[in-house]
Amino acid sequence: MKHTRTLAVAASVAVAALALSGCSGSDAGGDENTLRLWHYEGADSAMGIAWAEAIEVFEEETGATVEFEEKSFEQIRSTASQVLNSDEAPDLLEYNKGNATAGLLSSEGLLTPLDDVVDEYGWGDQLAPALQTTAKYDENGIMGSGSWYGVPNYGEFVQVYYNKDAFAEAGVEVPTTFAEFEDVLQAFADQGTTPLAESAAEYPLGQLWYQLALGEADRQFVNDYQLYENPIDWSGDEISYATETVKDWVDAGYISTDASGLKAEDAGVSFISGDAPIFYSGSWWYGRFVNEITDFEWGTFLFPEAELSPGSAGNMWVVPERAQNKELAYEFIDITMRPEIQALLGNNGGVPVAAEEADITDEKSQELIANFNALNEMDGISFYPDWPTPTFYDELNAGLQELVNGTKSPSEVQQQLGEQYQSGVDDIVG
Amino acid sequence: MSAIIEELDPERRDVELPTDAAPEPDAERPRRAIRSRRPGGPNKRKPGDWLVLAVAVVLGFFIAVPFLLILVNSFKSPADYNTSGPLTLPTEFYFDGIVAFWERVNFPEKLWNSVFISGLVAVFAVLISMFNAFALGIGRVKGRLWIVVLILLANMLPQEVLLYPLYFMFKEAGLYDSQWAVIIIFTVIQSAFGTYLLASVYSTFPRELLEAASLDGASRWQILWRVVYPISRPTLSVLLIFFFIWTWNEFLIPLTFLVSNATQTVPVAITVLQGDRLMDVTTTSASALLGLIPTLVFFLIFQRTLTRGITAGAVK
Repeated sequence: MKHTRTLAVAASVAVAALALSGCSGSDAGGDENTLRLWHYEGADSAMGIAWAEAIEVFEEETGATVEFEEKSFEQIRSTASQVLNSDEAPDLLEYNKGNATAGLLSSEGLLTPLDDVVDEYGWGDQLAPALQTTAKYDENGIMGSGSWYGVPNYGEFVQVYYNKDAFAEAGVEVPTTFAEFEDVLQAFADQGTTPLAESAAEYPLGQLWYQLALGEADRQFVNDYQLYENPIDWSGDEISYATETVKDWVDAGYISTDASGLKAEDAGVSFISGDAPIFYSGSWWYGRFVNEITDFEWGTFLFPEAELSPGSAGNMWVVPERAQNKELAYEFIDITMRPEIQALLGNNGGVPVAAEEADITDEKSQELIANFNALNEMDGISFYPDWPTPTFYDELNAGLQELVNGTKSPSEVQQQLGEQYQSGVDDIVG
Repeated sequence: MSAIIEELDPERRDVELPTDAAPEPDAERPRRAIRSRRPGGPNKRKPGDWLVLAVAVVLGFFIAVPFLLILVNSFKSPADYNTSGPLTLPTEFYFDGIVAFWERVNFPEKLWNSVFISGLVAVFAVLISMFNAFALGIGRVKGRLWIVVLILLANMLPQEVLLYPLYFMFKEAGLYDSQWAVIIIFTVIQSAFGTYLLASVYSTFPRELLEAASLDGASRWQILWRVVYPISRPTLSVLLIFFFIWTWNEFLIPLTFLVSNATQTVPVAITVLQGDRLMDVTTTSASALLGLIPTLVFFLIFQRTLTRGITAGAVK
């Protein structure tokens, strides 16, 4: 009779569950004095800390309550279009910038255009022009022009992380020119160390490749590449230089051929563990390095001689069209743009978009934010190489893997990438 | 006896009975018994046996590797992970990852949500499967093959295809962001498979028992609960366990329908740890371990039922 018991237990558990839960459906907002807010930053990340403070300031100043839920990036990424089209839509949420995300939702009418509010609060003056690119979308959802649909609160950019102890041991200085940078790489290679932590299976090598192309490029090239203003010449100087330099660096031992199978996490860990003295990657690693690197001193610098570098505004505040308390949402955005909240973000390892450098007291953060501000002053934020088409991220990684492996020559890789890029762009532009 | 059945059953529906169910276990049993009673026992294994054993051990190892990796990395500090990589044993036990995840997502609440949803789905789906299978397998409704195929569509269609229609349906019904949406969807999906499986088990159900019951004056309802249900209970228990574990591990539909944090399940909660570009290997491992333990415990409790096999239930 053992089975009877098993099934009976299961059934009674189910009945108990029914009775206990009663009606567990949540009732969606509707209260006039409640701001329903979603974001996906961890509570101890820079944004998490700054925005928690913003919530307190907001509640104090407006008397409204904030109903905050920490969402997962994955959930917002894959379900936003459904949630925002329902009564469950929050009043304000952090959402991903880009044509496929914020652009798509804006073209479907799910996001509130913010032009009047941006003028009223003056957010447009606080944000550098390149940072505004990802906040504006035209009627087809393509970024760069049209109405404001979001307000970025933090930025990100790609720079060089270096191991100070390893530099001292090898007797090299922080390079200020591209030639010096190659000398540093050569010095490490001569000692039998692979200097660059790289990964071709994920974004790091693609971003290095793009940085090398940007070294030969001007702002118009970025506009052509990212905003489709003119066709890109895939056998032109910029791209050829980038592809051939990556190839040369692999041949010279600056980049390990193993990189073709490594992920970004592997590259980051090889820098943290001290195996590789140089890591060219984004500011999103910064907080983790502060917490996890204990064995050596490290620092950062912008890619030598670069006037353009990969980077962009971070993910941004958007107000759903179906939000019920839009005015409260605008007030909250304005609080997060205040210097003191921005400074808090900066002092905790984030990259604020509108901070006074003088307000940043943390020494390490000063270096990071000075780099970002220097890049912005040159109008150097150039977005990421995989942005132009939805499939280009995988195509670029695959091409660079073949380049690192030596299965394809630089010119073959360029030709292949050029065709893939063009067919993707043709689909978008029509 | 077959003569009697023939008399009662002019359509000769018993034909499947001897070929399908009865002989096979009987044929298997003596063979196995002889082998294990062979003199000398394990010492006299042939090379072939050793080969099979070796292959089984290697396979078992490969199946266990992901779990072992999770176990090893759950108790590692990030610093330990950074210096020694994912493959070494932790230098000391580090519980912060588990504690951090537990507190960040309010794990007991998620655990309860998962138990609530999976438990209800398992019970409802087994009940519905049994009713359907009773009609299709024993009642022999006309066109039952096509009915089964139609029901199976729910199982065969990729969930991505079902997502939007379901989303609009449940939004209209006012059940979006409610656990009941998930319970209803999975009850249907799981019972589709259950119906298919049980219907074929029931189609081999010994007719003589059914006939005897109806001769004794049992109604259909009584036949179901007094004859069919007790005999197929092992199969039903196995289905219950599978439905529970399958529903527990579901991700896409709960992710879509459970908007509020308070309604979410364990697998959905685990995604909180995946950032835009960064991952936290040790905490993610810890969360995977926490998500895995309940199903493991559930499995261990009920594994005796499982070993009885899914097609058990034929008359002994």
